Amino acid sequence: MDELAAIAERVASRNSRLEKIRCVAEYLRSLSDEDLRRALRFLSGRPFSPGDARRLAVGHVSLREAVIAAGGWDPETVRLCIRQVGDIGEAIGLLLHGKTENRPLSLAQAERLYEELARTRRSGQKEDLLRECFLRYRPLTLKYFVKVITGDLRIGLQERMLEEAVAAASGASPALVRQAVHRTGDLAETALAARRGTLEQICPHLFRPLDFMLARPIASAAEVPDPGNWLIEDKYDGIRAQAHVADGRAALFSRGFAEVTAAFPELAAALERMPGSAILDGEIVAWREGRTLPFSALQQRLARKEVPLFLPLEAPAAFIAYDLLLRDGRELLDEPIEARRTELERLLLAAGEPLLVAPQCTAADRDELERLFDQARARGNEGLVLKRRGSRYEAGRRGGAWLKWKRPLATLDVVITAAEQGHGKRAGVLSDYTFAVRAGDRFVNVGKAYSGLTDEEIRELTGRLRELAVARAGPVLLVRPEIVLEVAFNGVQKSTRHQSGFALRFPRIVRWRRDKRPEQIDDLDRVREIYQNQAPASGC
Amino acid sequence: MRIEFTGDGIHLPDLDLWLDPRSECRRAWISHAHRDHAGAVHQEVFGTAETLEFYRLRHEGALENSTLHAVPYGQSWELAGARLTAYPAAHILGAAQLLVEWRGERLLYTGDIKLRSPLCGRSTEIVRADRLIIESTFGLPVFHFLDREPARDRIVSFARQCLEEDRVPVFVGHELGRGQEIAHVLGQAGVPFQAHPAIAQHLPAYAAAGFPAPGWSLYEGDVPSGAALILPPRLRPALTTGNRRVRVAYVSGWAALDNARARTGAEELIPYSDHADFEELMALVKAVGAEEVDVVHGYAEAFARILTLRGWLARAPQRARLEQRNG
Repeated sequence: MDELAAIAERVASRNSRLEKIRCVAEYLRSLSDEDLRRALRFLSGRPFSPGDARRLAVGHVSLREAVIAAGGWDPETVRLCIRQVGDIGEAIGLLLHGKTENRPLSLAQAERLYEELARTRRSGQKEDLLRECFLRYRPLTLKYFVKVITGDLRIGLQERMLEEAVAAASGASPALVRQAVHRTGDLAETALAARRGTLEQICPHLFRPLDFMLARPIASAAEVPDPGNWLIEDKYDGIRAQAHVADGRAALFSRGFAEVTAAFPELAAALERMPGSAILDGEIVAWREGRTLPFSALQQRLARKEVPLFLPLEAPAAFIAYDLLLRDGRELLDEPIEARRTELERLLLAAGEPLLVAPQCTAADRDELERLFDQARARGNEGLVLKRRGSRYEAGRRGGAWLKWKRPLATLDVVITAAEQGHGKRAGVLSDYTFAVRAGDRFVNVGKAYSGLTDEEIRELTGRLRELAVARAGPVLLVRPEIVLEVAFNGVQKSTRHQSGFALRFPRIVRWRRDKRPEQIDDLDRVREIYQNQAPASGC
Repeated sequence: MRIEFTGDGIHLPDLDLWLDPRSECRRAWISHAHRDHAGAVHQEVFGTAETLEFYRLRHEGALENSTLHAVPYGQSWELAGARLTAYPAAHILGAAQLLVEWRGERLLYTGDIKLRSPLCGRSTEIVRADRLIIESTFGLPVFHFLDREPARDRIVSFARQCLEEDRVPVFVGHELGRGQEIAHVLGQAGVPFQAHPAIAQHLPAYAAAGFPAPGWSLYEGDVPSGAALILPPRLRPALTTGNRRVRVAYVSGWAALDNARARTGAEELIPYSDHADFEELMALVKAVGAEEVDVVHGYAEAFARILTLRGWLARAPQRARLEQRNG
């Protein structure tokens, strides 16, 4: 871990993407198999493998309490320091300067500490354990030890660059590494396979989420080539999820690879009753009397840690499956969609609510597509998803084999880059947000919105944003881009105010996307596309 | 002795003397020549010879009605019944602490100061006092700075590494103080460099004080080849944005935090400052031995609170005053 910290510092001090990759690759090459696995997890900000259900459950409060106890600082000083530094891991390392025994910490020891933290139930015990660590190891090592706990190293090393470093370290082709990562969702395992030259044999594993296949957005039926060539489903307003089932055990993963099983006990119970093993792709929706309810009915569930099974639930959930990726040990990714569908129907035929199969149909022409779209909207769904006949399941790709057609002007997923205090009853909280879309490795602003969130959400968001603060410019708090919002708007116009060159008209926040990471938000090309496709007179 | 902390500076009414006032007054002590301390013209000014030289340069042509008194370190003078003495403060060239002895009471005003030995200029002399006014630009315990030797090594090795890779090392440092220190280090190490005029104008004064920077040439707007470049902070972005030949090192106390990269665009952070870091401030307060401490500048409230928790009678008077006014 000491060495990993030194490497991380070196990576942070290089702007060049190539130099960062070279630096990491060299380090990876020097590691044993076991340490390679650990180092890659830690470098991607994870204590455990992505599919591992264990959670550290160590929050900022526990970290703060532990550094207060270890360093002998008063709480107010610690709070100020964290705010000034903008990263709790870095602040903790700095606050422990000169106060630790400076013992070495190996990657294996660090892993054992994370395991112990995950095992410990009470937060007081976690704090005791952290306090002991904080007094024992080197401050620079502790900085990165904590950054792994908070989930981001902040050294300008994106997942994609780590993949390239893995490729460079093993001599494998980056494309092959990437494909393997999509299939396993696990970079560490991929790196080991790359080292052994067995990348081609790599396949998905139960209870380790793999990357979802993604749909390219379209805004009208006119954008659909050859309308007869598509299998058509409703686009549901829910949470995209992968269900892993085997021998009476079930797990649900959302798109951020977060396990959400505990939030949907009724779905887990139904999935557990399924025979054999399977990985299903589908949507968790709020469901009552044969139709979907708005997603907001489920949103509260994600925020909650555990949902009791036998309490009357305000919104019952259903899992609408639309793809089958693995069945009884057989990988189906490369099978054509029709074959996967047949197996899926066979599997879920007997299940019944709350496990459903998305109804599928076809259209002869664009007029029929329009009709289907209107019907889907009338059923309370967002629109349509079109899947090309004969297509494979391309994990992690937005290749155009799937199309999604939402409302005439779709919403955008954006990330908050700056926040300001509101006025009146919102004077004490950060309720005005500047937000951005992706442009390559950067984020460029496209607008600013006043909150459409609940007071409760704003309060929670205010706390998160203060922790993410990197700088202050007058009343504006600049934050690290982490918080993903879905925004609706009336149009896109050219603008000189934002570096993107565009501004959204009348943007409003639809919801806080806790399930999405900033890498997954919309990009500038999408904004440009919307700008070009909008009808010239599409005012408000 | 009465002390008044105002938005314009610190006033000692019994002597009618202002300490580093921000606006024009009758009689001022200038601890050193940075703008936030020496930005105004006064009728009568006390300071060290070096400070007054920089002060004249700063206010060229505006000092006809001012009387400047150069005071040597360690020699006391009388003023309104008080005895005043300037002592070396490690900061920029000419920086001084002021000891005011009045009716048996010893008040020490540090001005800007650090305890570590500087790359250029004098080391701080410890002065015992009953009452202390100390700066706290970096008064939070997250600030840890380098000693001058490791700082020198970092500066030189960064420059050499860049030049070996055929890149241009650009150092960003304050135009008075840090800029000349970097120049001195590069010059002594035999690394060729160009200095921006704002920095170059003060190089002769540093050379005269025994800190030469041999081998420099004037930066005239083109990025040099095979040489380093020293720039004041505000000029960096225009030059280096998108220029792949250039690598930027930020030499500052603020470089102790990673967020300096996002703020300045620098890759290399060298946490070397002409201010004290947190431990130096604590050591200085202990060494001076004053029971009563007033903290000014930067994290004054935070540092005063830490001192209070550790048994000092400490305040951050200017901030408190400001809040009263706003309230």
